[in-house]
This record gives sequence, C-alpha cells and structure tokens, in this order.
Amino acid sequence: MMADLHPDYPLPDVDDPVMRPFWEGARAGKLMLQRERGTGAVHWPPKPMYWKGGGRLEWFEASGRGTVYSWVIGHEPFLPAFRHLLPLVMVLVEVEEGPRLVGYMVGTKPERMAFGMRVRVVFQRLTDRVTLPVWEPA
Amino acid sequence: MTDPIDRDLFRRIQDRVAIVGIGHLPFAKDIGRPISDTAVEAIQLALDDAGLVAEDVDGMCMLEMESTHEVSIARRLGVRGLAWWSKISYGGGASCATVMHAAAAIASGLATTVVCHRARNRGAAASRPWSQEKVLVKDDKALHTPWGLIRPVDVIGMWAHRHMHEFGTKREHFGNVAIAARRHANRNPNAMMRDRPLDMKTYLAGRVIGYPLTLYDCCLETDGALACVVTSVERARDLRQKPALVHAVAQASGPNPVHLANYNNTPAMETTSVFCAQTLWRRSELQPKDMDCAQIYDAFTPLVITGLEDYGFCKRGEGGPFTEGGRIELGGALPVLTSGGGLSEAYVHGFNLILEAARQIRGKSTNQVPGCKATLVTGASGVATSALVLRGA
Repeated sequence: MMADLHPDYPLPDVDDPVMRPFWEGARAGKLMLQRERGTGAVHWPPKPMYWKGGGRLEWFEASGRGTVYSWVIGHEPFLPAFRHLLPLVMVLVEVEEGPRLVGYMVGTKPERMAFGMRVRVVFQRLTDRVTLPVWEPA
Repeated sequence: MTDPIDRDLFRRIQDRVAIVGIGHLPFAKDIGRPISDTAVEAIQLALDDAGLVAEDVDGMCMLEMESTHEVSIARRLGVRGLAWWSKISYGGGASCATVMHAAAAIASGLATTVVCHRARNRGAAASRPWSQEKVLVKDDKALHTPWGLIRPVDVIGMWAHRHMHEFGTKREHFGNVAIAARRHANRNPNAMMRDRPLDMKTYLAGRVIGYPLTLYDCCLETDGALACVVTSVERARDLRQKPALVHAVAQASGPNPVHLANYNNTPAMETTSVFCAQTLWRRSELQPKDMDCAQIYDAFTPLVITGLEDYGFCKRGEGGPFTEGGRIELGGALPVLTSGGGLSEAYVHGFNLILEAARQIRGKSTNQVPGCKATLVTGASGVATSALVLRGA
C-alpha cells in the first residue's frame, strides 16, 4: 500500500491535539475511543481533554467490533487517490460502544454487503505516520 | 409557541421585512466571467426589479464561500457606504440565512436595505472542492475524507441508503422527486434542463454515481449569480413589486454537529433540518398545512424526501410515499421545487429557491400555484442549515 500511495491522498492531520490518541492508537493496531470517566458515555467525535474543566475524559481501546449501519459504493468519477479501490465500499459502522464511524470495507465485495452485517476493525498502513482503521466481515 | 420570550422578540421581525427585488443572470455551464463581476450585475438586476438604486443599499449579506469582498461589490455597484454586512457559512445551509440575517439587521435598525446574493462558478468539473483535496486533512474533514467519503453524493447516500432500508423507500420515490423537478423545469425558460424531459424509465436507467444514487439523483453543476433585495415593509409599500414578507426564519446546527459526515445523532435521521424546522414552526403563525408549495433543498433527491419529513409535511419514513400520485407536482397538494430546483433549474446552493419563492408570492412563477399565499424555503440538510417562510401581504 505505502509504495502505491497517491501523492494527493487526503491524509489526516495525525498531530491534531484532539484526535492524536485515535491516530496513535491506529498506528499501534488499536481502535481508540473516548469516554467520560463518570458515566462511561462515549464521545464521538472526541472532545478536547480540557472539556468542561478537564479530568472527565479518558481514551480506551474499543472492542473493534460493530455492525453495518449503512454503506455506499463509489464509482467513477472519483478522486484519483482512491481509484485503485473502486468500486469502493464506504461504510458507516455502528461500533459496539455506540458511535457510528466512517470507514471503508476490505476483504468483501459490494454484493456481499448487508445492513446489520457484523464487521471487525483491521488496520491499513498508509505511511510511517498514518494508519487507517478499516473494516472487514467478522 | 412554547417559548413566549422567543416569540415576543421574533415579533419585531415577523412580517416586518420583505423581499422586494430579485434578479439573476442566465444560468450557464460556463458563464465566462468572474463572480466579482457577475455578483454585481445580479444585484443590479435585483435593484432594478425592486425599483431601487445602489444609493439605497446600506447592507450586504452573502455566503462565506464567496471569494469576493463586500467593499469591491459595493464600490462597483455605486453604494454610498455599507453600514452592515455579514457572510454566512455552510454552503447549501446558508442561503436562507442570508435573508434571515438581513431581516434581523433591518428590524433592529442596523441597516435599511440589504442585498443578499450568491455568485458561484462551479460548472467546470475541476472547480469542485471535492476534486481538490490535498494532503493533511484537518478538523471535521479528517473524520471522513481519509476513507474516501468526500463526494457529497456519498455523504448523502449514507442517509439515503439507510432510509431505504429502515422505511422501505424505493428508488421510484427518488425518481418522483427528480421527475417533478424536471417537469417544472420544462416549463421554466430559465432552467438549464428546460428542453430535457425525464421519465421514470430513463431515471431508473441512470448511471450509478455512488450506489444507491445515480446520475438523476444528483443536482446540476452550474455557473450562476443571483440576488434579492430585502427592506422594511414600510419602504416596500412604495416599490415596484408585490412584497414577499419574511414571516419566519431559522438557523440550526443541531446537537453534536459534524460538518458533512453528521452521522452521530440519535436517531441518525434526525439531522440539522429537524432542529431548524422546530425553531422555524415555533416562530411561525403559518404551519406546514398552510404552505401552498415548498422549495425544499435538493442537492440530491433523497434530501427532498427527508426534507418533507423533517419540516413536518409527513411523518418520519413517509416521505417516499408522499411523493406518489403527483402530490409534489404542480396541481398536487404540495408542489415542490416549482422552478426545477437544484436538480433541474440550476444548482446555486439553493439561492434560486428563494427567488422562486418570491415569484410564487408575487404570482409570477412559470409554474404558478394559483393563489399562493405562503411558501417554505429550506437549506441543505446534514450541514448547519437555515429555512424561511415567505407570505403575501
């Protein structure tokens, strides 16, 4: 994958102070989410750690399991950076912990997709610094 | 009417401000002029329509996406001096809010006559923002674009597909929206698609762009420049056109908002429009049943179906069947997108929907709803949005 990465691939800013634990986790093969210490409520998108005075939030490793809430299949015209993946199955995964995360599917075909289908996270290394959590059938 | 304070404050605006002039340049695939030029002419046309001159203007409101400066437009127009201006963010969510902000400025005495406009050159494929992604995606975009979810058709397709699954909405329902818009456009000489009929067979055979959405589910890409003039009803009495009174206005971000990939509401279908509708109807004496037609934001056909639900014309999940039997076409119970909308007239972030609403109140649409007294205009669902109700005097 790395060698083939298109120069215009929309890589995320992994140094974003709020999102950094998510991207660092992905690089280490972990799907990281954020929750409130007191209530266990999961926040997605994550909030800054100083939220409401600080000390209320913690990051934790999620189960990496979820179900397909919805999906779309991208055909041309598409961004050149993704052309090698077309038809691209972009997916909205409702993870066991609650939030719905945007991702894409690997290891399946468009015709095998179904609502409620169980999926698990796998990690796709794009560069030395960027690894994407993506999804495959569980 | 649950909040008396909100209602009392809003009384200062309700029916006190009106759209008194509208204007636009011919829509085109390639207009051949920069928006710094077309915007000025569109505003001049709207002033001519109203019977006003540039010297009457002291306020300006436009979309934040415009690359132009108010001062340059004002100078070229011949405005003496601007006393108030504002730019509204979120593209298709912003158009109605230009009128809302203008109305608030006029009602509060910060300005007397405000021009609102949208000038947009997007006919060329290379001009589309989603085709220009560059490395290091920041902030909200980093939540979806690294996985390829960038094209608006895919962002909306996520909701559309789920709606099909959860409520049994069919592609034919989306088709009803596309065909209604097209039939209206076929009777609108200003519409890009005036000469291009569309039937269900053609609709269903449309090329897949982002499954489940196809070519005919997508709006046009158009170069356009449009403007409207907003002033007080007192001034409106002396002007050339029948005023379209600004009866209710609202803006809403909804809770836990994400720009574009706004998928974490519960339930997920309750996106920004639901919250915008709640505020709008709370401020409005007129309710959905009083609308003689509706201009519902239509970057993609499913947005009209969810818009009908969000704005209370039917229950959640019933938007698909609502489109059946010609109900949303001229002659039906609720004609929708009577100019052809973004799907078939021009895609200009919904600013054409405001102009069409004013025409309906004047009785001058080419798809005139007989005796139209009130109409709804909405902005894009999913992004932070806005809406307005216009009525006759």
